[in-house]
Amino acid sequence: MVKNRTGNQAHSSIRDRNGPCISVTNLKKLYGKAKEFTLDGISFDVKYGTVFGFLGPNGAGKTTTLKILTTLLSPTSGSVYIFGKDIIRKQSEIKRKIGVVSQNPSFEANLTVERALDLYGLLWGLHDSRVRKNKVNEILSTFDLESIRNSKNDELSIGQRRRVQLAREFMHGEDMDLLFLDEPTVGLDPSARRMLLDYIKKHVMSGLTVLFTTHVMEEAEYLCDEIAIIDNGRIIAFDTPTGLKQKYGGANKIIEITFKEVLSQSFVDLLKKIIIGSEYSDGDQKRRGIITNTTSRIDLNETNPNAITITVNNAEEVISEILQLVSKKGMRIESISINPPSLEDVFLSIVNDENNLRDNERK
Amino acid sequence: MKSMNDYIVGYSIILLVYRNIVAAIDKMFLIWQIAFPVVYIFVAGYAYSALIGDQGITIGSLTVTYVSFLTAGMIGFNVMNGSTIAGAIIWNDKRNGMFQQILVMPFNKIQYVIANLITLILIGLGSAAVIMVIGFPTIFYDINVTLWSIPYTIYALVAGSVFFGSFTIILSTRMKSSEGYNVISNGLFLFFAFVSSAFYPAEGLPQPLSAAFYLNPLTYIVDLTRAGIFAQVSTFTNIEVVILGLLSSTVFLIATRSMIKMEA
Repeated sequence: MVKNRTGNQAHSSIRDRNGPCISVTNLKKLYGKAKEFTLDGISFDVKYGTVFGFLGPNGAGKTTTLKILTTLLSPTSGSVYIFGKDIIRKQSEIKRKIGVVSQNPSFEANLTVERALDLYGLLWGLHDSRVRKNKVNEILSTFDLESIRNSKNDELSIGQRRRVQLAREFMHGEDMDLLFLDEPTVGLDPSARRMLLDYIKKHVMSGLTVLFTTHVMEEAEYLCDEIAIIDNGRIIAFDTPTGLKQKYGGANKIIEITFKEVLSQSFVDLLKKIIIGSEYSDGDQKRRGIITNTTSRIDLNETNPNAITITVNNAEEVISEILQLVSKKGMRIESISINPPSLEDVFLSIVNDENNLRDNERK
Repeated sequence: MKSMNDYIVGYSIILLVYRNIVAAIDKMFLIWQIAFPVVYIFVAGYAYSALIGDQGITIGSLTVTYVSFLTAGMIGFNVMNGSTIAGAIIWNDKRNGMFQQILVMPFNKIQYVIANLITLILIGLGSAAVIMVIGFPTIFYDINVTLWSIPYTIYALVAGSVFFGSFTIILSTRMKSSEGYNVISNGLFLFFAFVSSAFYPAEGLPQPLSAAFYLNPLTYIVDLTRAGIFAQVSTFTNIEVVILGLLSSTVFLIATRSMIKMEA
């Protein structure tokens, strides 16, 4: 068994790292009665020993891609190679080395947690009952399942079932070189979520490759080495989390201001004029707003009518202008903050731009 | 490194059969699988015997009591009764997400179908043995098993399991809900049960009804089961062997095709 630099047992992929772990080229999938493209020619590579994030809004094509990569669906066209092997011709060999945690729950209703893990180990080829028992104990402890080891799966809460589903995949042993996680943290409490992400990180250090889909951007930022954003069956952005923020967030900053008063529409319109450099009335005077970049925008807070979020590239200048305006209007500010854009801001910006582009094309 | 087990042909199927037995089968179902025919033997068997009187039932050159006739018939009938398990395994696996999960492991749909049918065959043979033991006092005087006749009974139980197991697999892949599956399978099985020679002989019936009996595979299963238990093998018995073999193979191929087409 190969040992990695931390001395842990390494996943076998560490021994053979020629080419990418996953290579997808021009993958297309026609689906449904309307025969529309769910996947419209996507291409990407996933390097060995990395976490690849696959992000996108609901119905973007993430799960379809995962179903093809895990052999559940056949592609309409295009090629998929995993470990350098064709997914159509070498299904059986590939399936021996992959683990899959699907979005939907899966469990053996009649078995206890301990028995289910033991059975799963056997199905994965852990034939020695002593080795299996040790592995079950290790997994029960790691995933904090000892208190429910004798509970039947259909007696568990949704979160507990999810933990068992995740834990079960690690009964695969050191043969697992690639793990597909389709929104794995849904239903988990924050500590279980963090524990899982750290456990995955530890295995990635030992050579495991992970393809990960999630709607939680903090998780993607925490875990992923590279991220592809998919929408309407096409990859619309691809980079490292930092690269995405630099590329799509640019020099923008997010200004969040909470006022003591509910904001009027006329005040919001005035702010819009300021940040796009339009002419506006300031009492008897006509003034021109600050010219910011094209990605500047103002978003009202849907849950708090007193709050507003402004995205601009010259935050200090804009804040100074707003403070003058607020002072003249006799309004009061409760809090103000300036932050760099998060991955979520970048994601929303990319997906919104894509939707706007598509709407314009339709018109 | 590959282990010895990786070289055993069908080892994946053995693992799936083991998984079916320990995880997918409801233990209450197994009790019902035995209890249902036994209740028929001891209640219906003796109740109808009182109605018929001392008149026996002729099988080949042998005349047996109605209870013996029914006991042998129930051993064949339990194959159909138990076959709903094959469809139920698929339904439960789909409902609990295990169908998809198994298919992303080193198993394919054909192995999954074969494992379900082998599970069913094992349950069929096991429950037949238990019913035989429990019903033995009722058949004791008439039983006439020989080394060359018992393969007919075993063949009937195996081929019958394949036929009805495949049939319920086809139903489970076509039906959109487990409720629909239950309604259709119960309705059809009621027809199969009573339009067959499981409860009464086909000889002497009105011609259309007798013809209907021989359109029903359960008739061949129970005829062959009785042929083995009472050692009454004729040319017609061998024709029944061929017909049951053809029917089972055809339905098995359709079930496999349906399963391959079914989306995970």
